[in-house]
Amino acid sequence: MAEQAASLRFIDATERGLTRLRAVHPLAPWLVAFLLLAPLPWVLLNTYHVFLANFICVMILLSVGLNIVKGFCGQVTVGHVGLYAIGAYTAAVMSVNFGMTFWMSLPIAVMVTLLAGAVVGIPSFRLEGAYLALVTLGLGESVRIFISATEYLGATNGFSGIPAPRIGDFRFDTYQKYYYLVMPVMLLGVFFSFRILRSRLGRGFMAVREDPVAAAAAGVNVRGHKMIAFLISAGYAGFAGALYAHMIPGYLNPRNFTVIEMVTLLLMVVLGGLGHIWGGVIGAIIVTIVYDITKDYYHYSLLLFGSVIVLTVLFMPKGIGGIIDRFIATRRFIAIREGRATRPGSDDAA
Amino acid sequence: MNAVRKKEWLCPRNVVAGLAAGAMLAVAGAASAGVIKIGASLRMKTETGEKYGQMVVDELSAINAAGGVNGHTIEIKLLNDECKSDIGVANATKYAYQDNVHLFVGSTCSSVSLPIVDVIHKAGVPMLIPHSTNYKITLKGSPWVFRVPISSRFSAAAAAKYTAENIGTKIAYIWASDAASQADAQKFYEYIRNFHGEGPLYAEQFQEGELDLRPHLLKIKALQPEALMISAQSQDFARGLVQSYEVGIPPSVKRIGGSAASNRPAPILAGDAIKGVFFHAAFSYVDPDPNAQAFVKMTTERYGVPTPDHDFSQAWDLVQIAKRALERANLTLSDDSLAADRAAIRDALATIQGYKTLGGGVVDFCADATPECRDGNKTPVLIEYTKGGEDYELRVIGKTTFGADFGLDGMQEEAAALRKSLDN
Amino acid sequence: MLLRTENLSKHFGGLRAVDGIDFELEEGEVRGLIGPNGSGKSTFFNLVSGIYRPDEGSRIRIGGQDTTHFEPHRIAALGVARTFQLLRVFSEMTVLENLLVGHHLHVAYGPVAAVLGTRRMRNEERRVREEMMELLAFIGLADFAAMLASELSVGQRRLLALGRAMAMRPRLLMLDEPAAGLSPVNVDNLLRIIVGLKERYGLTVIIVEHILRVVMDTCEKVTVLDHGQKIAEGTPDEVKTDHAVIEAYLGREMEDDEVRRVLQG
Ligand SMILES: Nc1ncnc2c1ncn2[C@@H]1O[C@H](COP(=O)(O)OP(=O)(O)OP(=O)(O)O)[C@@H](O)[C@H]1O
Ligand SMILES: [Mg+2]
Repeated sequence: MAEQAASLRFIDATERGLTRLRAVHPLAPWLVAFLLLAPLPWVLLNTYHVFLANFICVMILLSVGLNIVKGFCGQVTVGHVGLYAIGAYTAAVMSVNFGMTFWMSLPIAVMVTLLAGAVVGIPSFRLEGAYLALVTLGLGESVRIFISATEYLGATNGFSGIPAPRIGDFRFDTYQKYYYLVMPVMLLGVFFSFRILRSRLGRGFMAVREDPVAAAAAGVNVRGHKMIAFLISAGYAGFAGALYAHMIPGYLNPRNFTVIEMVTLLLMVVLGGLGHIWGGVIGAIIVTIVYDITKDYYHYSLLLFGSVIVLTVLFMPKGIGGIIDRFIATRRFIAIREGRATRPGSDDAA
Repeated sequence: MNAVRKKEWLCPRNVVAGLAAGAMLAVAGAASAGVIKIGASLRMKTETGEKYGQMVVDELSAINAAGGVNGHTIEIKLLNDECKSDIGVANATKYAYQDNVHLFVGSTCSSVSLPIVDVIHKAGVPMLIPHSTNYKITLKGSPWVFRVPISSRFSAAAAAKYTAENIGTKIAYIWASDAASQADAQKFYEYIRNFHGEGPLYAEQFQEGELDLRPHLLKIKALQPEALMISAQSQDFARGLVQSYEVGIPPSVKRIGGSAASNRPAPILAGDAIKGVFFHAAFSYVDPDPNAQAFVKMTTERYGVPTPDHDFSQAWDLVQIAKRALERANLTLSDDSLAADRAAIRDALATIQGYKTLGGGVVDFCADATPECRDGNKTPVLIEYTKGGEDYELRVIGKTTFGADFGLDGMQEEAAALRKSLDN
Repeated sequence: MLLRTENLSKHFGGLRAVDGIDFELEEGEVRGLIGPNGSGKSTFFNLVSGIYRPDEGSRIRIGGQDTTHFEPHRIAALGVARTFQLLRVFSEMTVLENLLVGHHLHVAYGPVAAVLGTRRMRNEERRVREEMMELLAFIGLADFAAMLASELSVGQRRLLALGRAMAMRPRLLMLDEPAAGLSPVNVDNLLRIIVGLKERYGLTVIIVEHILRVVMDTCEKVTVLDHGQKIAEGTPDEVKTDHAVIEAYLGREMEDDEVRRVLQG
């Protein structure tokens, strides 16, 4: 009982804090998030953890993007790593073969990935479910196979020597420095997704996911929304790819963009919560950390990941995000039933 | 009011504190004096991979059981990188910064070792490579990198060098249109032209999957070459071999394959037409050399592997080399001597000279951060089919040793670019 | 003339689901559309709302515009709203969000404004949320605003489907069996709401309904379909006594007053 009351007070306090922050300025919570995340490289005790933090940021971008098209717009795409690869290799080619700086290679990588995203999106006009999954899988895999067979892209030997980004003489050439590049981009990506998903556009996505016929009858341009969802998710993949390419050691290999990576990415979104606004973030963090912890038991990693996906889909279809929502709702319900109204501002006496 | 505000702030702080506690645990587990820590990242997807990983662990345990290295015990940790560079890079980073290893061993794939060089170079950890052949790995010029296996700059020319020195330089070539087959043939005749001044007797490309190669082979027969190279993937290669006998090119003309010649389908598809075709490796289990045979006996008895490949043998060589270097290194192994100990091991590795590998080559390292100093083994073994079919048989026909600077001509520019990217 | 179809036809393989229907609807009318199962009523709705593509030679005009080949969202933009026989509410969205999607075309800000969080966008969001809450209150679902549609009872979902259509602020509202599965009390309730909506917003309505009481009580004019064809049209009383209608519903064998009893529910 006491525990429940405590957790409820915690939930309320957090919510009240957020409300108060938003009242100061709509962007205030994001500024606070940035300030909390900024000292991370000093809090973490070794460089490896900073490396993981960077990697998690890239993964968050990827899985938030995937969650938009898959979780929110309901389009079963299994080609997302293909887009990620396109973003990464475009940035690599632009900077190494054309001598561009990161600040040029990044936007070009994003634009090229957007184009590719449009190509992946077109089949979604006619296909659904397993058929769309198959087509997108094919597109994603063909990207990998194309890279593997293209000498210009390093083929199976990989593409190396992608330089660290720089501003003047300052180079983002350690994981600590890189964090201050990738973390703000990640935060902006999450911010962007929140704004989009909580707007008219986000509601349109969900309506298309729930029932495209009813959505169309309500005036939602179904194709347009599908295409925009694919484009947005491709944009995220482009950013993620370019940031991954320029991160130490500046090396890419087609083997890092296989179906296994796609499954890991799906696991992130499914575990975090398909269609939950925090889904991609929660999933990317948990999966990357759990994967790292269980690394020593490499014999079982695939088995572990596979069973987690199955169990999640069976027992918590809305993932961890859904469980948190449930938890909060239940606490509220209990409190209301017990006659302790716990709307913000009313429980200080309790 | 105050109490409530405190709670609000507890949320993120809890998370950060939790992360920090986790990190501390990990670090506490890692730092202990008097122990030499080795971290290995290998491809252990296959059963054989698992087994040579186990062998590395067993060999190091045996050293500990015999009193360790200068009284220090060795602690080894094994991680699988699945031959994926991002996993390998994560493993190496973890070893370098979290486990604080003194020596990194890995990887078994060039595509993984290549980026790891950058990580290890930044962190200042000696890297001993069991099996990655790409010439760029040492061309990057990191002082921390040591390679046991044979660099591709040697192996690419092994067959050509052996042919020129032991068979002849009047050679006819046909090759399939795919990129790999083209490149194999081209490297071969360029070697013969550059080192022996002889152009090809016949050189024609055919379409991949072309069924009838006899028109080419008949013309070649009339030219009476000393050797015939058929550079193609297994099927085309096998067909070419069979047809070369059909048109009556005598058995005395040595048949040579591209890199596909060592692939398992080749002897099975070609049958006895493959007799006399040879390929190269760092080691062969058919090598009659007593050291090699003792090793085969050991892997058969202990790991149930009667046909260990060169991944296996080089893992064993690597342990012996590591042991020698560790014996020579003057190690403090205290909490704050990590950098010094790593440097000491690096310097000790650079003094390894004349280590004879199971394959019969010799590993020499030296102090310069150059391919000459850091590509240890320069002696490919040439292995010939003596019987084709499902139960094909092999024998070692020779070994050929390259000079340390072989294949580096005209690479200055590439080396400079690689070195620059290493510092990026 | 708000809606006019000429020779509207749709076939599925050999089946003529809708077969050459000429249909006219005046602004402000409340029209009943009845017919036995499988007579083509829902198909007619699907054609008018653009969900099915009509056969060659068909013509649909809405408000004077030729919409024969329009996509559904463009027809919706002309002010045509509809409900579905199988409801098709957005189950994994909240009740309020369902209405917000219905209001989609009237939410006046774009994605850029959403990302920038402009004042205009925030005001607009506040406005539409308030308006949708009002609408929810009108249909009696205000207390359920934050609940998922899947958590509602069947009757509540019917109301929600109606609410979502109303959220579109339509000129023409097409209701496909709005009262199916409701208890008599709820049917009355629904009737009240429909009549209320019509009076409040001056709507034009087409109602498909098997519970004929609904049609007879609310409609000035009724159209009867059978086998995809229009077999009768007129006031409820005219239709009730029409021989073709009786035949269509019950076959020849029955006595007329027996039929009448059935038709009157
Ligand atoms: N998409 C479709 N594909 C094939 N046949 C269809 C399709 N839609 C409707 N039909 C057929 O067209 C005919 C008319 O169906 P419709 O749903 O329009 O009838 P209805 O009058 O609405 O019937 P009910 O009163 O049972 O709802 C039926 O025979 C139905 O099976
Ligand atoms: Mg119907």
